[in-house]
Amino acid sequence: MPAEPDSKQRLLATAGVSVHYGGVRANDEITLAVDGGEIVGLIGPNGAGKTTFVDAITGFTRYTGTVELGGTSLDDAGPHRRRRAGLARTWQAGELFGDLTVAENLIVAVEGGGVRGALTDVFGRRRRTDQAVWNALELVGLAELAEHRPDQLTLGQQKLVGVARAIVGATQVLLLDEPAAGLDTEESVAFGGELRRLAASGLGVLLIDHDMTLVLDVCDRVYVMDFGRIIATGTPAEVSADERVVAAYLGSAVTT
Amino acid sequence: MSDILQFAVLGFSTGAVYAVLGSSLVSIYVATGIINFAQGSLALWGVWQTAALQANGTLVLPIGSFKLTDGPTDTVPALLIGAASCLVWAVLAHFLVFRPLRRAPVLGQVVASVGMMLLLQALVTLRFDADTLGLDPTVLIPMPILPSDTFTLAGATIAVSNLILAGIAIAIAAGMWAYLRFTKMGTATRAGAEDERALRLLGYSPDRLAALVWGATGFVSGLIVVLAAPAIGGLDPTSYMFYVVPALSVALVGRLTSVGTVCAAGLALGALQQILLFGTTKDWWPSWAQAGVGDAIPFVIVVVALFALGRSIPERGSAGVGRLPRVSVPRLRPLPVAGAVAVAGLVIALTSGTWRFSLVMSAIFTLIAVSVVLLTGYLGQISLATMAFAGAAGFALSKLTTNAGVPFPFSLFLAAVVSTLLGVIVGVPALRIRGAQLAVATVAAALAIEAFVFNNPSLTPYSGALIKDPSLFGYSLAVREGTNIITLRFSYLVLAVVVLLLIAVARLFGGATGRAFLAVRSNERAASSAGVDVAATKLLGFAIASFLAGIGGGLIGYSSGQLSAASFTVLVGLTVLAMTYVGGITTITGAVIAGLAGPLGVLYLFLNQSLDLSKYYTLIAALGMLLRAVVFPPDGGPVQEWLAARLPRRTPALATGAGSVTAGSVTAGSVTAGSVTAGTAATSAGTAAASTATAPSAGTTDGVAASAASAASAASAASAASAASGGPADSESSADSDSVTAADAAPSIAARSADAR
Repeated sequence: MPAEPDSKQRLLATAGVSVHYGGVRANDEITLAVDGGEIVGLIGPNGAGKTTFVDAITGFTRYTGTVELGGTSLDDAGPHRRRRAGLARTWQAGELFGDLTVAENLIVAVEGGGVRGALTDVFGRRRRTDQAVWNALELVGLAELAEHRPDQLTLGQQKLVGVARAIVGATQVLLLDEPAAGLDTEESVAFGGELRRLAASGLGVLLIDHDMTLVLDVCDRVYVMDFGRIIATGTPAEVSADERVVAAYLGSAVTT
Repeated sequence: MSDILQFAVLGFSTGAVYAVLGSSLVSIYVATGIINFAQGSLALWGVWQTAALQANGTLVLPIGSFKLTDGPTDTVPALLIGAASCLVWAVLAHFLVFRPLRRAPVLGQVVASVGMMLLLQALVTLRFDADTLGLDPTVLIPMPILPSDTFTLAGATIAVSNLILAGIAIAIAAGMWAYLRFTKMGTATRAGAEDERALRLLGYSPDRLAALVWGATGFVSGLIVVLAAPAIGGLDPTSYMFYVVPALSVALVGRLTSVGTVCAAGLALGALQQILLFGTTKDWWPSWAQAGVGDAIPFVIVVVALFALGRSIPERGSAGVGRLPRVSVPRLRPLPVAGAVAVAGLVIALTSGTWRFSLVMSAIFTLIAVSVVLLTGYLGQISLATMAFAGAAGFALSKLTTNAGVPFPFSLFLAAVVSTLLGVIVGVPALRIRGAQLAVATVAAALAIEAFVFNNPSLTPYSGALIKDPSLFGYSLAVREGTNIITLRFSYLVLAVVVLLLIAVARLFGGATGRAFLAVRSNERAASSAGVDVAATKLLGFAIASFLAGIGGGLIGYSSGQLSAASFTVLVGLTVLAMTYVGGITTITGAVIAGLAGPLGVLYLFLNQSLDLSKYYTLIAALGMLLRAVVFPPDGGPVQEWLAARLPRRTPALATGAGSVTAGSVTAGSVTAGSVTAGTAATSAGTAAASTATAPSAGTTDGVAASAASAASAASAASAASAASGGPADSESSADSDSVTAADAAPSIAARSADAR
C-alpha cells in the first residue's frame, strides 16, 4: 500500500502556477490545493489547460509560480524527483513500458536504480518483488495479469496499470489525467469505487476527467478551468449549479 | 593575416565537399526522414570511377566491367559518368534499402545506412583492383579537372579552383533550396515528410519524389567530390567515406532543415580546419594537439550544435517510432551456462595456433558486442563509438603497464575505468538527443578519439604502444611462449574474464538496471514520471557499456602485446555493430554470434583459411547487415509479414482466431516478434499460442488459469516446431518458446506473487 499520510493534511498546494506557450497563456495563475484523503476534481472543456497544469506541476513543462508537496517546495526538482517525493501522475494515453510485464511496469517505480542498483544487481541477492506492487495490482484488480505484456491488455486495463504504477511507492498525491476515458460505464463505476478506497487510505487525488458522472459522483471538491484559469470551485453540487460553469462546460456536456 | 586568408581559401576545397554532402543529407532527410551515413561512400565510388575512366577508360560495375573508350576517357565524360554512377547507386539504395525501411525503427534505418556505407567501401576496394582495371590501382590518381591558375590577393596566393569549388557548392545548395522552396514538387516533397498519406491523396508519389532527391543528391555529391579530389588528396579506399561525419555535423548545425545554413557551415568548417592546420605549424601551438585537431572539430561542432541549437526532448512522446526488437530477459541457469563454458574451454584446449587465437578473439569480441547489446539493444542508445572506447582502454593499458608499472588485474581494471570516463563524456549528448542524431554524435566522437589519441604521435609512438604481458603472483599469463602464439593460460584468462562479465551483464539485464533501461528505451517521459532518472540511467548505460568495451580493448591489447590504431578504427566499430545487429541486438546470444562472426574471429579465420575469402569479409558483413535490416529485421519484416499474410489461408484452425479483431492484431504482433528463420510450422504454432493467450485479457478472470494452460501447451508446441525447423528459439510474449515459462503461467498467480522474479 502507499505510505499513509495523515488524513485532512494539506498535501499538494500550488500557488500562481502559470505556463506560457509562446504568447499563449495556457495556465494563468492556477492556485489549488489537495488534502490527504480527498478526491478533488479538475474539469473544464477541451483546451482549458488541464493537462498542461498536470505537465507543469509534475515537472514536464516550465512554469512560474510554486508547487509544494507536504510543505516542501518541488520547484527545482525534475519529474523523477517529484515522483519519488510522492507526486505521481498518469497519462492520457497510458504510456506503459511495452517491453516490460505489467508487474515490472510497477516494479520500476519502486526500486532504486543508478550505480547502487547496478551493483546490487550484479553482486547482491535477487530482490523479491515489493509487496506494494502486488497490493497496487490487486487494488486495480489486475493481479492475474501481472505477467502479461501491456499490448496483450485492453485499453481500459492498460489505463488501470498506469494508475497502479502511479500509486506504488511513497505516493502522497495522485494526479489522474482522464483515467476513465476508454472505460465503459461498468468499468467506470468500479473505478470510482477504487478511487474512494485509495483516498480512504490517506492519499490525495486530483482527478481530471470528462466523465461528469464519475467526477460529480466521487469528488469532494471540484475546480473548473476554462481558458487557462480557474473559473469556479466548490462541491460538486455547487459547481454544477454555477452559471459560468454551465455556460463554459456543463451545458454542452449534458446535451451531448 | 594573408596567411589566414590563404589557408581559409585552401579549405574551401574540403569545405565545398562538406557543404554539398551536408546539403544532400538535409535534402534526403527532408524527403525521407533518413540520415544517410553512406553519402560519403557513394561519392567514394564516383571518385574511383572517374579516375579509372581517366586512366584507361574502364567502366567498373559491381559485377563485371568494360572498356568504355580505348585509352583514357575525356575529362568531361569521365566526370559526368563518375557522378552518374553515384546517382545510380543512390537510386538503387533508395529502392532496395531505404524505401522498404521507411516505417522501420530508427535503429534499423541507421544500421541499413551504415550497411550501405560499408558495402560501397568494400566494393570499391574489391572492384577497383588490378584485375578489373588492367593496371595497378595504386597508380590511379584523381586528375585535375578545374583550372590550376592562381592569383594574389592581399598578399595571399589564391587558387582559382578553390573559389570555383566554393561557387559550385553554393550553386548546388541554392539549387536544392530553390527546388524544395519554390517548385511544386519540392513543396510536395516537404509536405510528404509531414503526411505521406495526404500527399498520395493529392496524386503525388512520395516514392518518386524521394527517388528524385536521392538521385539528384547522389549526382551532386559525386560531382563535387570528383572535382575536389585533386585538391584534397589522392585516392584512398576509405577517406571520402568518412567525409560524411563532418558533413553530418554541419547538417546538424542546420538542424537538418536549412540547406543554406549547412552550405555556409560546411565552407566555414573546411576553412577553419585549414586555418587550424596552419596554426599547428607554429611554435606556440601545443605539441600534443598537433595531430587530429581538424578531425576533432566535427565532434565539438556536433556537441555545440546540439546543446546550443538543439531542442530538448519533445513534450509529446515521439510518434511514429517503429517497433524495436523485443527483449527477452535472460535467465541464468547454472547448468547450461556451465555447459557452454565447459565446451568453450574444451574447444580452446583442443585447438592451437591461429584457430585458438581466433576463438580467443571471438570471446573478446563477444564482450565488446555485449556492450553494444546493453547500450543499443537494451537502452536504445545508438552508439557507433564502441571500438573507440575499447581502443582508449587499450592505449591506457599501454601507458599503465609500461610507464607506470601497474600490475595485472589492476592495470586492466584501471584501463577500463579510463574508457568508462570517456564513455560518460561521449554519453552526455545523449541527454539531449536520440536516435540517428545520437549515432551522428557518437561516430563524430569516435573519429575524434581515433584522430586525437590513437593517431597522435605525441600520445602514441609510431613504433606502437607496447603492453607488458600480464602475470599474477609471479605466474605468467603471457599470450606467447616461445613459438606458441597463444598459450592456454592466456586463453583461459580471457575466457574467465569474459564469462564473469557476461554473467554480470545477464544479472544486470534481469535486475533493476535492465528494467530501468527497458523503461527508458520504451518511453522516456513515462520513465521519468515513474521515478526513473532518465539522464542518470543513460549515463550509467554509457558507463557500463564503455567499461565492458574497455575490458575488451585491454584484452585485445594483451593478446597482441602492443596496440596499433588499426585494431580500433571506426570501421571496425561499425563492423561490430553490424555483426551484433545480425546476431540479435537484444540478446546475449546475439553477442556470442557477433563474437564468432566478428573481426578476426572464427568466421574470419574460416573465410581466410578454408575458403580464402577473407578479402570479402567486410562485404559479407555489410551484406549481412543489409539483409538483416531490410529482409529479416528483428522487429518483423517483409518475410515475416508475407508468411503471416498467407498462413491463415493455409491453416483452417486459425481462421476463427483471425475473425476477432483482438486476436487478429495480437496474431500479427506475435508473428512479427517471432524468430526469423523459423519455418512455417513454427510461425503457425506461435500464432495459435498468441490467439489463445488473448483470452485471459478479453475474458473474465475465471478463465485465466485455463487459458494460460492452453497458451502454455500451444507455446510448447511453438517451441517444439521452432526447434524442429532449426530456428533460434527466441519468439516472444505469451508465445514464449521457452515452454517452462509459459507453463509457469498456468498455476495460480497467487502462488508466485511472493517472488515474481
